[in-house]
Amino acid sequence: MSLLSLEQVSVAYDNRLILEDFNLSLAKGQLLSLLGPSGCGKTTTLRLIAGFLNAEAGAFMFGGKDYTKVPVEKRNFGFVFQSYALFPHLSVFDNVAFGLRLRKLKEAEVKKRVTRMLEIVSLGGFEKRLPAALSGGQRQRVAIARALVIEPDLLLFDEPLSNLDANLRVNMRVEIRRIQQELGITTVYVSHDQEECFSISDQVAVMNNGKIEQLDKPSAIFKYPASEFVARFIGFGNFIAFDGRNDMGSDIELSRGALKFQAAKRPEGLGNTGLLGAIRPDDLQLFGEPGAAGIDGNTLPGTVQISTYLGRSYQYQVETELGVFTVNQEMEQPFVQGQRVTVYFPKEKLVLVQ
Amino acid sequence: MNKKALYLLLPGLLFLAAFMLVPITLTIASTFVQDGKLTLEGYLHFFRDGYFNRILLTTLRVSVVTTLVCMLLGYPAAYYISRASARKKSILLALSIFPLLTSPVVRSFSWMIILGKKGLINSFLVNIGLIDKPLDILYTPVAMMIGLVHLFLPLIIITLLGVMENLDHELVRAARSLGASPFAAFRKITFPLTVPGLIIGGILVFVGSLTAYTTPALLGGKERVVSTFLYQNAMTLNDWQAASVIAVIMIVITFVVVGLMNAWANRLNPKG
Repeated sequence: MSLLSLEQVSVAYDNRLILEDFNLSLAKGQLLSLLGPSGCGKTTTLRLIAGFLNAEAGAFMFGGKDYTKVPVEKRNFGFVFQSYALFPHLSVFDNVAFGLRLRKLKEAEVKKRVTRMLEIVSLGGFEKRLPAALSGGQRQRVAIARALVIEPDLLLFDEPLSNLDANLRVNMRVEIRRIQQELGITTVYVSHDQEECFSISDQVAVMNNGKIEQLDKPSAIFKYPASEFVARFIGFGNFIAFDGRNDMGSDIELSRGALKFQAAKRPEGLGNTGLLGAIRPDDLQLFGEPGAAGIDGNTLPGTVQISTYLGRSYQYQVETELGVFTVNQEMEQPFVQGQRVTVYFPKEKLVLVQ
Repeated sequence: MNKKALYLLLPGLLFLAAFMLVPITLTIASTFVQDGKLTLEGYLHFFRDGYFNRILLTTLRVSVVTTLVCMLLGYPAAYYISRASARKKSILLALSIFPLLTSPVVRSFSWMIILGKKGLINSFLVNIGLIDKPLDILYTPVAMMIGLVHLFLPLIIITLLGVMENLDHELVRAARSLGASPFAAFRKITFPLTVPGLIIGGILVFVGSLTAYTTPALLGGKERVVSTFLYQNAMTLNDWQAASVIAVIMIVITFVVVGLMNAWANRLNPKG
């Protein structure tokens, strides 16, 4: 039974439809990420759930009740803003206490809960500071504490880590996941960062143009993207448009003119349609001479055009009769420009998308 | 900073020194000298004089009321403009600063036509039978206040608009998401964060009202304010010593009020 569901929702902004007949549902206690490029509608979806935006059509159900017309302040959802939106004229304590005081709690109870929450986010002792006197990471934690202390029925994050530097980002996302699981709080999380979404989510919805392209567990999306858009967004840099396919047992035989390729079938329920083959630069392999040991088929001869050094590996642009492929490969002796090579497509890494 | 860049500052600095600092210093110095002796007599004379005290009081009253009315009228107007769509905003902004584009003389004459004994307001009120005799509005402190509010309202609106447009609207959303009604969010977030703008706008209006000459001179009739009294002393009575003393008193009042209100605004401003 889902706790939250958007049913056939449409949202317009400046007479432009951002979401149309949009559907989404989420079970209690889960963390769902909305992932996509800017302008894909993920933030609109989040703001609709929060109540900052109104739907033109459709319904937003929460806990079995129709929340479509419930005003923001009556929803009891915690919202963590990208800009943190801390009240600059209030101390850390007063920022966190803001929601509790609106709920007319006794001052002693407010103090107890704010103090405990500040300890959870490791900010004990910072009560009297103004937001301007905090670092980015500390502000972020105040924002989270402020949203959590009201014991919200749903927690909403709008790109909460995008203003932090890389190290802090990793620490904070672990922290967010820890708090979310500790309190068992249902959460919707918006980000354009693939790694961030995958690392903390139970479910990821990849969005494009106001539609969900794929909604699944992070590991399923990572291995088996459903569409070309999802594949490109999560780093499948190489594509081959096949013109024929033939299902044989656990494999699929693909053809492009006279060329034949093999791809492993996806597990049941992950979709197996489409004629577009996709593979990550990390999963392609290069060999110096044709017919390397143990490999038959799924290869293409090519020429190294450009070689760049990425630190952990080298990246090559290899020209073949099916176009240019990007290959990342770790090696001692890199290939040089103009060298003849063989590109190998491991069949279990070659996936078909729509 | 590059020392050569300082030369860019020099012409303006010299101009200010020659035409502002020197005359002001001389003016101030002259007020403490009488018959070649250092004395406070010039000031004591004024503060012992009931006529001057009345003028000073009228001036302060007119300035304070003008400031309060401008705040009261300007704040909601600025709030509305700041929340309007871009197109509407530019139209409203143009309308609200339009009065600034006409000369105070022209404006004051318009108010004379409206406020006079046979003016629009009195004719209307007499015609509908609400009053039998025309009211005395023109040539009273009330007329000055009306003229000054009209003069300075655009100023406070523009000042407030700057502050309100800088207000991050996410803060209001944050307050709402934490359970604040629209009114509570305004009271706890929007208002406290825009009060410094209200104070700064208030300073501008207060100082402007305190030193305004044309509007009180034309709408005040025989009622004097400090600036018109100063003019009278200097130009009609040719008593430059008295005029200088009045000028210094005005400067001191201005500085004290600006200083106090600025300190207050700074204390309210969390970013210092």
